[in-house]
Amino acid sequence: MIRVSAFSRSLIVLLIVALAVVSAFPFLWMVLSSFKTAEESMQTPPVWIPGTFDLSAYSSVSEVIQTGRSLWNSAVIASVTTAGILVTSLMAGFAFAKYSFRGRNTLFAVMIATMFLPPIVTLIPLYRMVSEMGLSGSLVGVILPNLANAFGIFLMRQFIAGVPDDLIDAARVDGASELRVVFSVVAPAVVPAIAALALFAFVYHWNTYLWPLTVLQGATDEYPIVLSLGRLLSYNRGAMNTPLVMAGATMAVLPPLVLFVFLQRFFVDSMISAAVKG
Amino acid sequence: MIAPAAGLIGIFILVPMGLTVWLSFHDWSTQTPFHTARWVGLRNYEDIFSNISVGRDFKTALRNTAIYTALSVVILLPLSVLLGLLVYQRNVRGGQFLRTILFASYMVPMIAVALVWSKLYAPTEGPLNQILGWVGIGPQTWLAAPQTALYSLVLLNVWQQIGYFTVLAVAGLTQIPGALYEAARIDGANPVQSFFGVTLPLLRRTLLFSTVIAIINAVQVFEPVALITQGGPAGSTNVLTFHIRRIGIDRSQGGLSSAMAVTLMLALIVTVMAIFAMNRRAEKQ
Repeated sequence: MIRVSAFSRSLIVLLIVALAVVSAFPFLWMVLSSFKTAEESMQTPPVWIPGTFDLSAYSSVSEVIQTGRSLWNSAVIASVTTAGILVTSLMAGFAFAKYSFRGRNTLFAVMIATMFLPPIVTLIPLYRMVSEMGLSGSLVGVILPNLANAFGIFLMRQFIAGVPDDLIDAARVDGASELRVVFSVVAPAVVPAIAALALFAFVYHWNTYLWPLTVLQGATDEYPIVLSLGRLLSYNRGAMNTPLVMAGATMAVLPPLVLFVFLQRFFVDSMISAAVKG
Repeated sequence: MIAPAAGLIGIFILVPMGLTVWLSFHDWSTQTPFHTARWVGLRNYEDIFSNISVGRDFKTALRNTAIYTALSVVILLPLSVLLGLLVYQRNVRGGQFLRTILFASYMVPMIAVALVWSKLYAPTEGPLNQILGWVGIGPQTWLAAPQTALYSLVLLNVWQQIGYFTVLAVAGLTQIPGALYEAARIDGANPVQSFFGVTLPLLRRTLLFSTVIAIINAVQVFEPVALITQGGPAGSTNVLTFHIRRIGIDRSQGGLSSAMAVTLMLALIVTVMAIFAMNRRAEKQ
C-alpha cells in the first residue's frame, strides 16, 4: 500500500517537474538566446546552449532603442499610476465600506461593471478626448486616464469592511478629519491589501501596451519599454538579430518578474481573496 | 471620498463609452473634433454587416475572435482544474513551485511573450519544430499559414494565462470542506466519482467566474497580432481589438469603428448573460 502511494507520489513529482519545464521553457529560451552570437542564432538545427555568454546583444539593443530611457519611462508610468490608484481606491473603498448613502449600491455596481469592459470599447473616443486636452504624445496622457480603477476600489472595500468601526470612531472623537482617518487609521490596518494592489497595479501598468501605443504614437522619447520592444519589429524578420530582440525582451520581462517572484505571496493571496469574496 | 475615483472613472471610462455608442450612429473622422460628427442613423451597422469589404473584414474579425475566445476557454478551464488539483496536493512537494512558474508567465509583458514565441515558432531555426522532429512529427507552419496561425495564437494565450486560472481553481478548491470528501469516501466513492460528485459541483461558482474572465481576456488579444501577424496571413488572425484599432485610429474611421466596438460589447453582454442563464438552469436541476 505504502509502496503504491510512494510510486504514484513520485509519478506526480515527475509530472510537476515536466510541467514546470514546459512552462518555463520560453523564458529559458529567451534568456539563452540573448547570449547567443548572430551565427549561433541562425543555425539549423537550433543551438540550445550558447557557446560563450556573449553580452554584446544587450549593448546593441540599447543602441537601437533607448533602453535606459524606456525603462525609466516605464518606471514613471507604472509608479505614478500605482500611487494614484492607491489613493483613489483607498478613499472610495473606505466610503463604500463605511458610509451609507443613497445610491451607494448602484454607484458601486456601475463602477464594478467597468472592470469587465474591454479597453478597446472606449479606446477611440478616449484617444480623441486626450488629444483635445493636448496630452497626446505625453506621459501625462498615458497616466491620467488610469488613476482610478474598479479592481482597486473593489479590493479596498473588501478589506476595509473588516476594519473595526470602533477604531475609526475613536479617531473621529480625537478630532481627525475623514481624510486623516483614511490615511492614518484605515490604511495602516490594511497594509497587506495595499501591498497587493500596489504590486498588481505596478505590474499591470508596466506591461500594458494598447493605450500607450495609441496615445504616444511616434513620440519615441516617451516610449515605455514595451513600446520600444515593439519597435524591434523590423529586426525580428530574420534570425540574425534574434539575440538583440531577446536581450530587449529580457530587459522588459525582468522587473515585473523579479517583483512577482519576491512578492508573490501578496499577489496570489489577493487574487484568491478577490475571487473567493467576489 | 468617492469623488476622485468616481470623477476619473466617469470621465475616462463612462463618458468615452457613451461617446462610442453615440459615434456609432455618426460619420466621424477620428482626426476631427466630436462636433464634426454627422448623423447617419444605422448606416455604420449596415456597412459592417454588409457584403462589401468593410463588412467582410469585420465579420471575419468577429468570427476569428469568437473562435479564439471559445478555444481559449475550452482549453484553459479544464486544464486549470487539472493543474489546480496537482498544485493543491498538500502531501506532494513542488506544488507551490509549479504554481510560481505557471503564474510567472501571467505577470510579464505580452509584447515580450509575443516576441519570444515568434522565435519559438520560427519554421527552420525555431526550437518547437525541432522538438517535434525528435518525436517524429513533421515541421508545422505555425504562424506562417492561414490554417494554423489562429490556433498558434491560442496556444500562446493558453501558455500565458494558465497560471492565473490555476490559481483561481486552487482558490475554489480550498473552499471545499474536507468533510465532504471524507463522506464520499465512506460512501464507497472512488477518486473519480468523488471528483465528479463533490469537486466539480462545488467548483461551479469558481468556474463561472473563470469563464467570464477568460472570455474578457481573450477578447483583448492584441500584442501578438499587432507585432507578429498584422492580422494575417490572409486575415486569419485579424481579431477585433486589432481590427477596431486599425479602422478607428490608423484609418481614422471613428464612426465605423465605434459601431464595431458597440457590436463587440453587445456580443459580450449576450454571451455572458447566456452563460449565467445556463448556469442557473444547471443549478436548478
